[in-house]
Amino acid sequence: MSILELENVTKAFDGVLAVDKLSLGFDEAKITALIGPNGAGKTTIFNLICGLIRPDSGAISYRTKNITGLAPWHVAQQGIGRLFQDVRLFERLTVNDNILAAFKNQTGENAFLSVVVPWKVVREERSFLERALQLLEFVGLADKANDLAENLSYGQQKLLSIARLLALDADVLLIDEPTAGVNPTMVASLLEFIRRLAKEGKTIVVIEHNMNVVVEIADWVCFMNQGQVESFGLPNEVLGDPEVRAAYIGL
Amino acid sequence: MNYLLHILTMINIYVILVLSLNLLVGYVGLLSLSHAAFYGIGAYISTLLIMKLGLGFLPALLLAVVGTVLLSYTISLPSLRLRGDYFVLASLGFQIIVFTILYNWIDLTRGPYGIPGIPRPIFFGIEINSIGSYFLFSGVIAAICTGLLYLIGNSPFGRVLKAIREDEIAAAALGKNIVRLKINAFAIAAGFAAAPGALFAGYLRYIDPTSFTVMESVFILSIIIIGGAGNISGPIVGTVLMIFLPEVLRFIGLPDAVAANMRQIIYGLLIILIMRYRPQGLSGEYRFE
Amino acid sequence: MLLQLLANGIISGCSYAIVALGFAFIYNTTRTFHFAHGGVYTLSVYLFYTLYNLWALPLIVAIVITVAVTAFVGILIDKIIYIPLVKRGSSLFIQMLSSLGLYIVLINFVAMIYGNETKVLSPGIQPTYSFGSLILTQIQLATAIAFVVLFIGVIVVLKKTRLGKTIRAMRDDPQLVSVLGINPRRVRRVVFALGSALAACAAVLSGLDIGTDPNVGMAAILNGAVAVIIGGVGIFEGAALGAFLLGILQSLAIWQASARWQEMITFLILILFLLFRPQGILGVRHRIEEVSV
Repeated sequence: MSILELENVTKAFDGVLAVDKLSLGFDEAKITALIGPNGAGKTTIFNLICGLIRPDSGAISYRTKNITGLAPWHVAQQGIGRLFQDVRLFERLTVNDNILAAFKNQTGENAFLSVVVPWKVVREERSFLERALQLLEFVGLADKANDLAENLSYGQQKLLSIARLLALDADVLLIDEPTAGVNPTMVASLLEFIRRLAKEGKTIVVIEHNMNVVVEIADWVCFMNQGQVESFGLPNEVLGDPEVRAAYIGL
Repeated sequence: MNYLLHILTMINIYVILVLSLNLLVGYVGLLSLSHAAFYGIGAYISTLLIMKLGLGFLPALLLAVVGTVLLSYTISLPSLRLRGDYFVLASLGFQIIVFTILYNWIDLTRGPYGIPGIPRPIFFGIEINSIGSYFLFSGVIAAICTGLLYLIGNSPFGRVLKAIREDEIAAAALGKNIVRLKINAFAIAAGFAAAPGALFAGYLRYIDPTSFTVMESVFILSIIIIGGAGNISGPIVGTVLMIFLPEVLRFIGLPDAVAANMRQIIYGLLIILIMRYRPQGLSGEYRFE
Repeated sequence: MLLQLLANGIISGCSYAIVALGFAFIYNTTRTFHFAHGGVYTLSVYLFYTLYNLWALPLIVAIVITVAVTAFVGILIDKIIYIPLVKRGSSLFIQMLSSLGLYIVLINFVAMIYGNETKVLSPGIQPTYSFGSLILTQIQLATAIAFVVLFIGVIVVLKKTRLGKTIRAMRDDPQLVSVLGINPRRVRRVVFALGSALAACAAVLSGLDIGTDPNVGMAAILNGAVAVIIGGVGIFEGAALGAFLLGILQSLAIWQASARWQEMITFLILILFLLFRPQGILGVRHRIEEVSV
């Protein structure tokens, strides 16, 4: 059943429709792939869900709660996490701090409490550090913990951004082009992560241009064009659709 | 000796100012040109409380901090949602508005005539009356403020501020309430700027608005730029250097009329050179890019 | 009385508008928050003072030299201060701070040479003209005429010439400009020259009207920048409109309160705009600005 739903959502930029009366639902603990040509409105959908932009009309709901127009931080706190295509790390922070900054409910994020009950903050920090180390081991960056994020290779940065997203512990993960710019040997392990996350119950929406990847990981595929859903179904159905092939894939 | 103690006392006062502004410049990555306004508000509130209501120095200082924090919201709430250069202009505007009020609200502040005869702080029955004891007194308060700002800077709060500095959108996507965190950081910085205001008033025993001008704000900011931001050592190095610099110029024997301008020219040139060749300042952690 | 205040407000609006147009040339095109524009303003009025009052050159000659030299100073500032930073890929943050540093240097350089006291550039009583109950001085009239001429000039350059189109395109996409085969460095040279020349025009007029001291540049850059923002960044007509709004409101405020509160009015207006209409009078929200945290 759908955990995250867009209903009749419309968004125009300077008069040009980026998303046009679009309705779409994402199933819990499944991987849904969004495909379509550039400018089809895929990333706009992510921005709309995250609250970075507001829809002109229509509604977005998460676990039946209306989240339309909520601020990005509020959406994230509801349990919707976002992996950006251009990683967006905190570049001049260490790898460790990138993860630590992402945990929710930190007492020490309140400046007043961090001065009044420093011991509580220190105790909490110890457990966060442990979890951060686990996450870094999970993505194989434990030995880089004290490096600045800007000094990592692009592939490593991508992995770090995934670890950071996991630290948020969101239930829905919006992943924008996870394999773009990542070397082929790393792609396999990346996809393995994503599959494992879905098995653990995370709902995953992924924007992906590589059709082999889509076939390999997606439970559902949504083909978008000009801000609308052209076709939605199982990977083989959608990718086998002659219209989709003609319009986009050119296989 | 008294001369040296005077300089060291000024360093105690400026260290708090600069470290508090560092929370904005080095952590959040916000350029604020309103710090002298908060410094002045702190000085005036504490002085008026001492002279009109007969409060002791410490209660007056604490109330000045609270009052300054409250006033900080009048500028942070409207301007912190905005783009960086708009914020700089808004903070500059706030600085000018505060100066205009201090200068023109004669009934309250005596405007350009200033407030003379501010009593010396009395602490557990001991009057802080020598320059040596004022140095110690200001040193204790500076140490406490430095300690608190160090704790805040190294707390998860400081970390999330740095995350905001690096990438606001990414931080928001991780559930951080950017605007609220920025407003809090701004309030803390303003509150800590009030304390040196009270110390300054108690030290000189006279205040007038000309100590709290736009150029003073620029001076405080330039200390951070030159010393470096984002840690504790950069601002301290900057403060010591910039407070001693005019004394060095005096030894060179420049005539007084030229010395003031020359000093400003050196600050200006240092800012330009630092931005060009060493954007992390002399000892800072945060490298402006 | 009200009419006279309104007229005075419009005349100061003309002067602000000339500075604002100059600032807008640079800010709209390069996105650099050119604080040093205020320093350039001060420098130019003292240059004029030297030529006209100290060396007793004829007025027109002094004006032409001042404007030309100031334009050249603008280009020089870009070349020495900004271009190396842009080449390195520095943020606007660094450019703004460098600009602030340069502002401090320029103002104090002037103060060191000429002193801090106010200089009177046109001694004696100015001839006045009356229009019914309205009385305007010669300089005030000259300011209004200068604004009209310069404004029309700016709009013609922007709308009718290839260069103007490039200038407007550059804000949106600097890369595009180089793709079109135009050297972006040349565009920068032009906007810094024109922008600084406009500052010089305003500085000379205002200097002749009310005299000068080294700090006039601060008020000029603040009024100019605020006018650009409340008028709508990126729109030159907006800058002029914002300047008039500022001039008139300040003038009315002087009527209601006193001149000492004038600067406060400027920033109260700015803060109100930032709160309720951050895109300015004529501005439209751009898609990039819609992404909000």
